[in-house]
Amino acid sequence: MTQQSDHNKLKTFVPIPARPAPGASNSWLAHLRQQYFSTVLSSALTVTTLFLFYLLMSPLVDWALVKAVWSAADRKECYSVSPDGACWAGVIHWFNNIIYGRYPSPEIWRINLVFVALVLWASPIFINRFPHKVMVFLSLWLAFPGLASYLLLGGEHGLLTQLWFGIACAILTIIVLALIWLVTGRELAPGHSALTRLKLPLLALTIGACLGQQWLILEAVETTRWGGLFLTLVIASVAIMMALPIGILLALGRRSELPVIKYLAITFIELVRSVPLITVLFMAVTMLPFFLPNSVELDKLGQVLVAISLFAGAYMAENVRGGLQAIAVGQTEAAKSLGMNYWQNMIFIVLPQALRLMIPNIVTSFISTLKDTTLVSIIGLFDILLMAKNMAIDKKWLDLHTEPLVLIASIFFVLCYGMSQYSLYLERKLQWSH
Amino acid sequence: MESLTKEHNATAIALKGINLWFDDFHALKDIDLTVASGEIVVICGPSGSGKSTLVRCINHLEQYQQGQIEIFDQSLANKKVASQIIRQDIGMVFQHFHLFPHLSILQNCTLGLMHIKGMEQQQADDKAMVLLERVGVAELAEKFPGQISGGQKQRVAIARALVMEPKILLLDEPTSALDPEMIKEVLDVMIDLAGSGMTMVCVTHEIGFARRVADTVVFMAEGCIVETGPAQQVLGSPQWDRTQEFLAHVVSNGAA
Repeated sequence: MTQQSDHNKLKTFVPIPARPAPGASNSWLAHLRQQYFSTVLSSALTVTTLFLFYLLMSPLVDWALVKAVWSAADRKECYSVSPDGACWAGVIHWFNNIIYGRYPSPEIWRINLVFVALVLWASPIFINRFPHKVMVFLSLWLAFPGLASYLLLGGEHGLLTQLWFGIACAILTIIVLALIWLVTGRELAPGHSALTRLKLPLLALTIGACLGQQWLILEAVETTRWGGLFLTLVIASVAIMMALPIGILLALGRRSELPVIKYLAITFIELVRSVPLITVLFMAVTMLPFFLPNSVELDKLGQVLVAISLFAGAYMAENVRGGLQAIAVGQTEAAKSLGMNYWQNMIFIVLPQALRLMIPNIVTSFISTLKDTTLVSIIGLFDILLMAKNMAIDKKWLDLHTEPLVLIASIFFVLCYGMSQYSLYLERKLQWSH
Repeated sequence: MESLTKEHNATAIALKGINLWFDDFHALKDIDLTVASGEIVVICGPSGSGKSTLVRCINHLEQYQQGQIEIFDQSLANKKVASQIIRQDIGMVFQHFHLFPHLSILQNCTLGLMHIKGMEQQQADDKAMVLLERVGVAELAEKFPGQISGGQKQRVAIARALVMEPKILLLDEPTSALDPEMIKEVLDVMIDLAGSGMTMVCVTHEIGFARRVADTVVFMAEGCIVETGPAQQVLGSPQWDRTQEFLAHVVSNGAA
């Protein structure tokens, strides 16, 4: 601040120029020394930790890689080659079953095709330059199940399902074309003319896909034959996709001023949260049919999907409610004073902020939902865990438990760690400075 | 009470016998107030006197239990839909700005135009830029609320309210949360606005601002309107001891 020394003469204030912070160094070697070897104690801790890590890891590496058997006809052969190494031969032999369950082998291409379609469809969400991400996400949510259920279930379909499939094909074509344009360097202007020119061919494609099904009827594959990682992913992705909208509606319901809606939401959330998932699954599969007329035949997978979605939704509701409560009342008042109604306020002002705040919790819920899906093995769906158990009762690979479980643990780790890393990335990307 | 300094015709806001309780606390007591179209009313008074509550009642952010509010002769009954429609005629500026932190400055201003008035993005952007220009923050359009100063935030908040073309602007202590160096830039915008013929109801402790632009000054204490009248009368020669006491405090604190 300027100091007033004299009524006539003022000194001119010149700020002290900024200097770099002390001790800042760019060299990674200096960084390493500073972080891990700064004092004697710190160095000792570093060395001890490295030694403990070696003690733990070396037998594991020994078992899993050095002494492992990669090809053998059965478990006995594994034993005779290397008695204390991993018998990966069995896992390799059963690999297709662990991934695809008991899906008929000649039809496995359908699962792969759906997977490729999913990756293509979802990829725009992860590409920064791609416009209209929300539309892509919504189309994935609404239309992709049409394509997936047509291909995975096979069999004959009603007209509506055919139309659903046709629309899904058309949207997927748009997305693939847009991806190609993006890769070849053409920019996608909003309202790009290329797409408008494609309107007719796309319509034709939709109708073609609908009619094509009349001739091209895929072999029906009962959901009882679905299994392995494929089934796990189907259950997890349906539950995750349904949990968020269900959770948002329940959370809004719980905060509603209308008593009927409020208490219905509270009852549902508290009831579901107070019961273990396995109970909900048993209820859905074994007890629900008692309450329904005999003519209604329920698909076990369908019941499980509904049960897990509602269960995950109830948990999600509390996450979302936490986020809603963190948003200051002033935000709603500002929105109201602009003339917004309840839904406009929620969609444009409150939810975008609340969901952003709750990303870590929401993703934690997703991760636990993915892991919870292994419970369906208890009610007899052949998910990845039950396939592994089945492998251990195969006469050739009797009692081979550890190896498939290690494989499954690795698969789950990759999936869950991937989700958690993506959520961290999303948090950083969506951050707004306070 | 009618203002003496300007000719006014239509009644913009009429408050008739408003009583409001927060649980057992009687926050507004028998409030009667008429604001003519184009009139500038400044409400002042000690904290806890109910002045913010009164302003918030006008666009129905508070629910009053007794009385009636008419905006341009339309009754603002205790109904949600009615209040939504009438709110579109009333702009509101808050003490703590309440900008939307997840939207850029420009999006803060265009959101209402696009989703309530159904305007195209291009038109909305143009219109918002005109107002951001007017309050002197056009160069901040792409920034986010977390990146700008308090005075700039409040000017954006004023632009956000004005872009909806309200007939009435309510300001609830717009300069109270600002650093002394930033108060002037916001007051300048408000003075400019006062000259444009906008109907304004402003809660403020800025007595200088009240003297300069207010047609009517309302002094409140303990949930009651103590006195109402032209600025020079209420601020210059108050009729009530409570008013004089308050003014003495404010002036001795240098806020005038």
